[in-house]
Amino acid sequence: MTAPRPAKTDRDEVFVEYTKSICPVCKAVVDAQVNIRENKVFLRKRCREHGEFEALVYGDAQRYLDAARFNKPGTIPLQFQTEVRDGCPTDCGLCPEHKQHACLGIIEVNTNCNLDCPICFADSGHQPDGYSISLEQCERMLDVYVAAEGEPEVVMFSGGEPTIHPRILEFIDAARARPIRTVVLNTNGIRLASDRWFVSALAERGVTVYLQFDGFKPSTHELIRGRDLRERKARALDNCAAAGVTVLLAAAVERGLNDDELGTIVRFGVEHPAVRGVVFQPVTHAGRHLQFDPLSRLTNSDVIDALAAQLPDWLRVDDFFPVPCCFPTCRSITYLLTDGQDVVPIPRLVQLEDYLDYVTNRVLPDDGVRAALEKLWSASAFPGTATTAAQLECATCGVDLPESLGDVADRAFMLVIQDFQDPYTLNVKTLMKCCVEEITPDGRIIPFCAYNSVGYREQVREQMSGVPVADVVPNSVQLQPLLGPSPYGSKIAGNGHAQPRRDQTNVGRKLRR
Amino acid sequence: MTDVKACCAAAYDSDVVELVLGTSYHPGGLALTRRLAQLAELRPGQRLLDVACGQGTSALLLAREHGLIVDGVDLGEESLQRARAAAEQAGLTDRARFSTGDAERLPFDDSTFDAVLSECAFCTLPDKPPAAAAFGRVLRPGGRVAISDVTVAAGALPQNLRDLAGWIACLADARPLEEYARLFTDAGLPVTTTERHDEALARVIEQIDARLRALRMTGALDGLDVPRALELTRQAGGAVAAGHAGYALLVASKP
Repeated sequence: MTAPRPAKTDRDEVFVEYTKSICPVCKAVVDAQVNIRENKVFLRKRCREHGEFEALVYGDAQRYLDAARFNKPGTIPLQFQTEVRDGCPTDCGLCPEHKQHACLGIIEVNTNCNLDCPICFADSGHQPDGYSISLEQCERMLDVYVAAEGEPEVVMFSGGEPTIHPRILEFIDAARARPIRTVVLNTNGIRLASDRWFVSALAERGVTVYLQFDGFKPSTHELIRGRDLRERKARALDNCAAAGVTVLLAAAVERGLNDDELGTIVRFGVEHPAVRGVVFQPVTHAGRHLQFDPLSRLTNSDVIDALAAQLPDWLRVDDFFPVPCCFPTCRSITYLLTDGQDVVPIPRLVQLEDYLDYVTNRVLPDDGVRAALEKLWSASAFPGTATTAAQLECATCGVDLPESLGDVADRAFMLVIQDFQDPYTLNVKTLMKCCVEEITPDGRIIPFCAYNSVGYREQVREQMSGVPVADVVPNSVQLQPLLGPSPYGSKIAGNGHAQPRRDQTNVGRKLRR
Repeated sequence: MTDVKACCAAAYDSDVVELVLGTSYHPGGLALTRRLAQLAELRPGQRLLDVACGQGTSALLLAREHGLIVDGVDLGEESLQRARAAAEQAGLTDRARFSTGDAERLPFDDSTFDAVLSECAFCTLPDKPPAAAAFGRVLRPGGRVAISDVTVAAGALPQNLRDLAGWIACLADARPLEEYARLFTDAGLPVTTTERHDEALARVIEQIDARLRALRMTGALDGLDVPRALELTRQAGGAVAAGHAGYALLVASKP
């Protein structure tokens, strides 16, 4: 009698993408694959030096795959700043292989901050060895942006904490003096809470405030910001309302920490006169952050599910639509019409897929409505600005609603879900169409997620401050034995620079030499 | 009996019902129009008649994407004018014409068309057998009828649905899918394909709910009993969920 032969078994996952990523430890470029298991999407890669890494990138595989329909052909910028040399993601940027222009340009004016939050992708704080940019540098950065875009939609000043830069208003004026439609200030709100003159100065300049606002529980403030800022946030918002400054709340969301507060934040925002929208961002595990497990991190679909569960009378999962300008799995948006009593999501009024599904629609309707919807479902939409208001009106008039609805549409409330990539989740395929860009003092335009994950942030800080900066390594559960502290509170590989930084896989070698 | 039909066409042309339903409304949107075209195997260069074409959205889509030569007929003059304007804007006037026409007395010669399309309209026709016969008359042998329409479950309607029918005209004379099929078969047009798309009707009902609520915010619905309309809409949603009402595609062919 012969022994039974072993039976072949199937893999427990569906292989859907082959791409590139980086080793989260040494940042070497490595091959990566995207797989689906149990209706969840994972990115896996292997570094010869540091082993295998896997991270959850989307909590709902069906929606991940379905989002592909909303992939809009990119627009070529007027200028590229670098050449293609080694390939993505080490040629930033933007290099001629980048698939999209910049919808949103970010200028980080400093590394200093008046807070030392436990969570900060920029690794900022009260630090003696950082940098801040000069007016000349700021003007150069703006000029690079204008040269690339012609008439850029949005510039966002960030940091560090931009409001503590002594020349921030001059920076804003410099942006205003150029053909840039919208100026946004990304702030923790501390200065806005106490300095009404400054808030009026922002109002005079038509600046939109992007206010960090993570929730209401004391524990949320304690764990994300290191101190209870509820009082200050409230005062900052009231000062903005009094001065007529439009505010978008930006919430960093971490699993098990404040993901139960999403509905409360939206309700608060809808009721507050200054607030015109909320941006929910799963915490980016770049820079400084709490220990996390990449296999159970929060993703866009998780945030959308949580919102629908917490606001069942207002929202459903399918009220959110992927944003076509970037890779559609990066960002989802909806708009709510509201009169203070009732709330109606705009996608229930418009058959959005008839306009934004670029795969099914061989010929797209070209009646102005599509153009308006494309602008609304993009990274450059900021409620309260004239352009976004006009697009909201156009979108609603295009669906045969009376003009009187235009006034309600003008005041539509925006909800954005944006999962930025980190050294674990970085997918070069996605990165190549990124439309949120960091403008660097040396005149490059670098996709935000590359800037935070690949080592560009460390490179720029080192160049600008003259102080060596080690590559930051994610504070993941799996990497704990390897990690040591950086001077800024983030984690680095125990010995500082981890070697090698060289591309390891499929780099042009032949099989037979 | 032509009352219901004229009333429905008039309702689409103006007044509060248009506000609530929107002007270029039919369940499933462009996606279902494409699906229907696919099931009917429409080919470039073929002649298509769209009965109750409204503002010509589907007719123009099929002219553009499928290379068809389309005629649209409707009873609403304002809709027809908008359809002509849209054709002009799309540069499709050589391939898309729109004229006044009644489903039962189609103003075309026998055997003119390769296909007759009618979306969410057959249900509203009070006298269905002559309409089915008229569709067959203008088709050439081998031509197709492509219908998408509201369906109701066989047997007696629940009371709440009968209430609804008083408000939403298309429910008043909607039939079970099998009955539509029989109507065409009896008119000498055997049915080749049917396909259910109840979710498309659910989506429209939801859109009506959203439009009612959005319009209430503007005060544009003064004179309409909004709470009552919302309640009926809710019941309609319930009827679809319970399988009492739905939406379906049907393709029949002329031997």
